[in-house]
Amino acid sequence: MLHSFSSLQRFSVFMASKPQRFHQIAGTNFQSSTKRVRTMATAIEPAMKDSFSRYAEYLNDLNDKRDRVVKASRDVTMNSKKVIFQVHRMSKYNKVEVLEKAEKDLVAVTDQYMSRLVKELQGTDFWKLRRAYSPGIQEYVEAATFCGFCKNGTLLKLDEINKTLLPLSDPSLQPLQINILDYLLGVADLTGELMRLAIGMISDGELEFAEKICTFARDIYRELTLVVPHMDDSSDMKTKMDIMLQSVMKIENACFSVHVRGSEYIPLLGSNDTSSFLVGVPDIEI
Amino acid sequence: MQYLKPAFRKAAFYCHSLTLNPTSVVLFPFRFRLAPPVSRFSSSMAVPPSSLDKQFDAFRVQLEESGTLRDRIRSVVSEIESSTRLIYATLLLVHHSRPTPDVLEKAKSQINVLKEQYKQLAEVVGGCPGQYYRYHGDWRSETQSVVSMLAFMHWLETGSLLEHKEAEEKLGLNSSDFGLDVEDYLIGVCFMSNELPRYVVNQVTAGDYDCPRKVLKFLTDLHAAFRMLNLRNDFLRKKFDGMKYDLRKVEEVYYDVKIRGLTPNGESIGDQGIQGQS
Repeated sequence: MLHSFSSLQRFSVFMASKPQRFHQIAGTNFQSSTKRVRTMATAIEPAMKDSFSRYAEYLNDLNDKRDRVVKASRDVTMNSKKVIFQVHRMSKYNKVEVLEKAEKDLVAVTDQYMSRLVKELQGTDFWKLRRAYSPGIQEYVEAATFCGFCKNGTLLKLDEINKTLLPLSDPSLQPLQINILDYLLGVADLTGELMRLAIGMISDGELEFAEKICTFARDIYRELTLVVPHMDDSSDMKTKMDIMLQSVMKIENACFSVHVRGSEYIPLLGSNDTSSFLVGVPDIEI
Repeated sequence: MQYLKPAFRKAAFYCHSLTLNPTSVVLFPFRFRLAPPVSRFSSSMAVPPSSLDKQFDAFRVQLEESGTLRDRIRSVVSEIESSTRLIYATLLLVHHSRPTPDVLEKAKSQINVLKEQYKQLAEVVGGCPGQYYRYHGDWRSETQSVVSMLAFMHWLETGSLLEHKEAEEKLGLNSSDFGLDVEDYLIGVCFMSNELPRYVVNQVTAGDYDCPRKVLKFLTDLHAAFRMLNLRNDFLRKKFDGMKYDLRKVEEVYYDVKIRGLTPNGESIGDQGIQGQS
């Protein structure tokens, strides 16, 4: 009977089954353990078990924190996007109210969602977990600079944004400060929104504003060209720069057509004015 | 608004077909590396606002500094890499025969060089506190190799697993300034387990029939300990998944030795009834 038992065990070894099936008699006197049954191998060497329970705790804490930061960052992204959409609702007649609402919404994003992010980060691991919250921060920078431009005509500086974030952090902890890289990535995305805004403004007849946007976008592109090559892993930024140039050119082309066409730029289709460049273009059903 | 779109497209097409200043339109857009075009379209060639310039100048300076720092880090890391290679070459000798004390001694002496280099690295990075993880990617894989070798050497000497704290101390690091990342340590341990099947095969060939039992016990414990961790689907998880194949190979070696009765008597693991079998 013992014989068959041992062959059964050999069989289990041969199948390379889970190590639990394999006896572990660590450092015991073999002669005395005649009746050693198959113990489920929780008999890991105690020092190893201890260290690994510590490593497990460390990893659990880190991953839980990372997940919470990701969630907070997603909320920031979503709500910043809403601010951007709000700004796009600007038109000739409601500019002031729309901007005011956008500013209020931005403040709400800062107070509710950015503060959540600050809370989850707990003043540490800013670089370690950067990948987890960078998209949220970029979107936030995009929204803040977009509002800032529409209100003041200038680019909201990194120091200025960071100042507004200081009160969110507990004074005993290191405050969350947006780093240069995330700021630049956010500003790069800003030009896309500027392009949309410029085209919209031209359609609205707000030609002066569109030209301002054009100048602004050009300035940003120019400033970034010198800075981008020095960024850490600048490959995604390089693609953004190519897209940015496309956006700038779209704005420039739109401004160009306004300039060349002048006041006739917004005629109705089917106009009989022979100098209109739309002569002959058929009506389109909306 | 809808009916303006075809007009706009027509205008855009019109614009491209006019070869106004072809160089600035055609050449530059497609190669970002070249200098930006001088715009001929603007009617208001405003002088760039200086506060914008100031901010971006400051950015450029800061980023250039971090770039220089990164270069210094990379040069120290490449030295670390060459020292690691030397130690590895020394350690490879353990596969060639039964253990000899001088192999380990030589490897241990080479660790001092490594310790110095990590001290240098800590100094370079120490200039920017809190930015360890900004540049961490530059020394991550080298450190993992270093840990795997240290763990292997420790096991050869003591038969036990080098702990995270011990590994940190061996490299002269400490967690408050410049430490050893826990995940780097764990990945290094997984790399070490990859060495074990080869080692055990060569030791049996060299005549050490007890080695498989010891290695098997160790690797089984290690694998079980790793199973205590909750891992994400990242590199560490991949490496850990590889460990079971190492374990399997060692089990097979142990089995081969066992059934041929080559294990030294009275030393087999808990297989009652096999004891004394011819």
